[in-house]
Amino acid sequence: MDTLVEIQNVTKTIKGRTIIDSLSFNVNKGEVFGFLGPNGAGKTTTIRMIVGLIGMTSGDIKILGHSIKTEFEQAIKHVGGIVENPEMYKFMSGYQNLVHYARMSQGITKEKIAETVEFVGLTDRIHDKVKTYSLGMRQRLGLAQCLLHDPKILILDEPTNGLDPAGIREIRDHVRKLAREKDMAVIVSSHLLSEMEMMCDRIGIIQQGKLIDVQLMTDFVQGNEKIYEIEVEGKEAASRIVKDMYPDSRVQLTENGIALPLKKEKVPEVIKRLVNQDIQIYGVKEVAKTLEDRFLEVTSQKGGLIHD
Amino acid sequence: MIKLIQNEWMKIFKRTGTYVMIGLLLFVLIVMGGFIKYQDSKGSVPDNSEWKKGLQVQNESYQKELTEMGDAIPQEVKISYEREIAINKYRIENDLSPNEEYTVWGFLTDTSQMIEFAGLFTIIIAAGIVASEFNWGTIKLLLIRPIKRGKILAAKYLTVLLFGLFMLFILFAFSSILGMVLFGFPNDPVPYLNYYNGTVTEQSMLLHLINYFGLKSINMIMLATMAFMISAAFRNSSLAIGLSLFLMFMGGQLTRLIAIKYEWAKYILFANTDLLQYFEGAPMVKGMTLGFSVTMIIVYFLLFQAIAFYVFKKRDVAA
Repeated sequence: MDTLVEIQNVTKTIKGRTIIDSLSFNVNKGEVFGFLGPNGAGKTTTIRMIVGLIGMTSGDIKILGHSIKTEFEQAIKHVGGIVENPEMYKFMSGYQNLVHYARMSQGITKEKIAETVEFVGLTDRIHDKVKTYSLGMRQRLGLAQCLLHDPKILILDEPTNGLDPAGIREIRDHVRKLAREKDMAVIVSSHLLSEMEMMCDRIGIIQQGKLIDVQLMTDFVQGNEKIYEIEVEGKEAASRIVKDMYPDSRVQLTENGIALPLKKEKVPEVIKRLVNQDIQIYGVKEVAKTLEDRFLEVTSQKGGLIHD
Repeated sequence: MIKLIQNEWMKIFKRTGTYVMIGLLLFVLIVMGGFIKYQDSKGSVPDNSEWKKGLQVQNESYQKELTEMGDAIPQEVKISYEREIAINKYRIENDLSPNEEYTVWGFLTDTSQMIEFAGLFTIIIAAGIVASEFNWGTIKLLLIRPIKRGKILAAKYLTVLLFGLFMLFILFAFSSILGMVLFGFPNDPVPYLNYYNGTVTEQSMLLHLINYFGLKSINMIMLATMAFMISAAFRNSSLAIGLSLFLMFMGGQLTRLIAIKYEWAKYILFANTDLLQYFEGAPMVKGMTLGFSVTMIIVYFLLFQAIAFYVFKKRDVAA
């Protein structure tokens, strides 16, 4: 896999307080990297360091091999971003805003602007003043602004903040599409777990300025064991049998049967035993752990307090 | 760079405030023109044929005052009297009546006072050009372009200068047109009498006015630069406007006050910004020279720019 962004041991200290503590991770081509953490954990600070808005105390960030510190222009030209809300010049039209940003990069044609406007679906309103736009439209304009120069890396800080469900979905679809079709690396930050679950391929959890975990989304949500729910007749009997087999496991009674964490290869064994004991099985299904469960699990495991 | 300036220019001229400022400038000029036109009692020496006598009398009274007061007379007053006397003498010798008709030239001389007005608007633009980006939050999108911060700031400063020039141009052009319409163009070109180092020379009026506008704008440029510095370093447009305007109106007075007692007043910016003092009056503090003032202006200018660029380049954009 091609690594597009390398965060190398980055530390940021403000007035003696360590905001970001030796953070390191990579983001690859074509993947959506979610940056997850409670408020105040340092998500926005990290993102601002990646785009050069905030300097770092030590460490380095490389974008396609160019350091953001020493080769700012070379590095940043591959990056498109929205940092927090997409603030635009409200007294100008959407189009004028785009022209303004287009002038600041090289080789953006009028056709390219029109194409981008079309992509985010703002063609009808692009010549209206930005102050007449809804938040969703501003978000779309913000997306257009960061796609103008065909960046290889897209950075979105809390992109769905304040959007309604339709708006959130729209952003999500755009992000996935861009990662798949244009092979972009996308870095998204959020404290909304459900949203990350649907958007990201990999997530990094940050807490109190430290990266405490980076995992593939699927691994992260599942862990090693999956939870299986077995629909049976006579759940008490069934749960007793399973407890005999695995005294350590947490077996729970559910509405229609029992639920327990299991490794995949153990599933046939359990079914066989239940069948031999004359338990009627109507179905076996995998229950996905929610991201929220896992998030709370991980953050509390690592011994930190979550303050919101 | 040109594209960046184009951007800044667009951001200035897409705002209503800018047009209000230009409108105000034009409005004040029109009011001034109307006032002078309909008041119409210009001319200091009433009787045309008697003007030589009048000037003679004036000179004698100046001379008398000069000799009576002796050393007690303030340096400034002394120089201005000497200047009046020399010019009056020159008029009598060369048969140049002071009772010229009030024409476009007179109007332009009067409206050149409005440079301060144009300066005020330039200060407002300078104060807002960086601070507003922070207020609007647009700075975050502005600084993540493949352009170094220094270049963006330089473009903004150049835009401020261009805007100042534009305001001056409007002032000069509109006053010229208005003056010509209202008061007409003189039949014979009237020379401007310049008194410098004890001698009187004739100068073309246009050249004099351009000179005058140029020298006067130095003050305005320095104040705008200061406002720009405050704007870039403190991201606060109110502070930038407030402080600059205060110093614009009070800076000269305060410096004059300090200059009475202390000699170090000559190191204050406002003792030096009025270069006209070397051509048409006396320096604020004895012993100051044109070279000294120019040096001081350059030193202050570099200082302001250094602060603005240093802070702007280093600053974390966290807001």
